[in-house]
Order: sequence, then structure tokens, then C-alpha cells
Amino acid sequence: MVATIRLSVPGTLRYRPIAVRAVAEAARLVSGSTPRDPRNPSIDPLAHDIRHPFDTAVVSAFMEIFNNIAIHAYQRKGGGSIEIEITPTKDAIVIEVKDDGRPFDLDNVVDLPAELDEESLPEGGMGIHIAKTMLDEMTYEPGPPNMWRLSKRLPAPQVAVGRS
Amino acid sequence: MPEPFNVQHTSNETKLTVRGSLDINSAPDLADAIDKIVATRPPKVIVDLSSLDLIDSSGVAALVKLYKGVRANGGAITIAGARDQPLAIFRLLRMDKVFNL
Repeated sequence: MVATIRLSVPGTLRYRPIAVRAVAEAARLVSGSTPRDPRNPSIDPLAHDIRHPFDTAVVSAFMEIFNNIAIHAYQRKGGGSIEIEITPTKDAIVIEVKDDGRPFDLDNVVDLPAELDEESLPEGGMGIHIAKTMLDEMTYEPGPPNMWRLSKRLPAPQVAVGRS
Repeated sequence: MPEPFNVQHTSNETKLTVRGSLDINSAPDLADAIDKIVATRPPKVIVDLSSLDLIDSSGVAALVKLYKGVRANGGAITIAGARDQPLAIFRLLRMDKVFNL
């Protein structure tokens, strides 16, 4: 299974839910996670159903990168698009995200405090840390176009379990 | 769709319930509600995250603001019920220990 999914959305937060849904479903193709029973009327069909650790990692990282592009690259004003290319394989996913906004200075991201207590709880600067930690690999090339490349492998014991 | 969050005040505690996705699109509304909660200097706040499906760093920042605001006024705050993706994020950020999740 190597088929690339391409999605282009305007570079504003309004289109974020569409992109997040696409990435969540693509992650599910790799993890094989099943959605909650769609026939159960008590389950909201629009609810996010991110429970599998692989889906969790991929979606969490992607959300932060989308936020970063809409806020930093496009300065919350839009004016360009976000091009998303998702390649799910049987044991991994690669997501390339391109924008034509301002380049981001990844080297200037401050690390989170090593020891966290009530005083040092951060109120910002967590997004890149989340994305980097959740993924196996994250690279960024300033453009134009700027390109984020996010990749995550399915942990070995889960590869091909229950899948043809 | 249920309301993304609601606030209930009783005589001895304030309960904030957050549902669905707490993210960069929904966090600003919650931040307004949080400012109001903190302004009342509540002695005890319970945050129920058992219906929260998804959170991003903006959502975490809003909850941190609430936590710090309540504690700065000498109040007690309990964050409970985090599961799935939100719990994974709190663990990754090592906030699970601070929040006693």
C-alpha cells in the first residue's frame, strides 16, 4: 500500500479540522485502529476518535505543525495555501506539509524546563516540542516553499497484526 | 453537538467540564471563561476532562493558565479524567505528575 493522499487547504485555522481529519484517517490506515461503533447512536459521528498510540502521535504532531504554519508562516492572515501530502505505507506514515509564508526559525525554539513543577509549568512554546517528541523524525526546510516533513513508524510488534 | 465546555458553580466548588477538542480554535473561548473563573478566586476547582477527545498545545496552555491562576489565589484545583490523546500529551509534557493525573 503506497498511495499518496494530497490535500490543499487555505492557510488559516478555519480549515484545520478538515486537514486533521484527513491525517487521522490516513494514520488509521497504517495503525489498523478501528473507529468506535458507528452504529451506536450515542456516539457523535463528528467526535474525534484518536486512541491508538500511533494515531495519537501522528495527529498530535500534525496539529501543532498546522497551527505553526497558520500562526507564524501566514501570521493568522492566510493569503496562501497549505499543501499536505500524506504517504501511508504498511508500517509507517510520511507527511509533507508545504507553505509559502514566512520561514520559521526552528533553531530558536526554546527547550521546555527539564524539571517541571507548579512554578515552571509552561504556557507556551510547547507545540514544536510535542511534534518533535511524538514523531520518529521531523525535518524543516525554509523555502519558499517552506517544507515540514513528519515521519512515524508503527512500533515493530504491531506491524501486520490482524492485517492482510 | 454538545457545548465544548461548561462551568458549574456550587457553594463550595467550581466545576469546569471540557468536551470534544480543546485546540487553537476552541481555546480562546475557554480562556475567557477561565479568566472569569480565576477572577472569582474560587477555593476549589474541579476540571473534568473525561469527555475531552483531543487537545493541542493551545488547549494545554489554557488549562495551565487556569491551574496557575487558581493556585496563585490560594485555591485548590483538581484535573481529572484525562484519557487517550489528551493523557498522552500531558505525559509527554510531564505535566501528569504536576496535575496528579
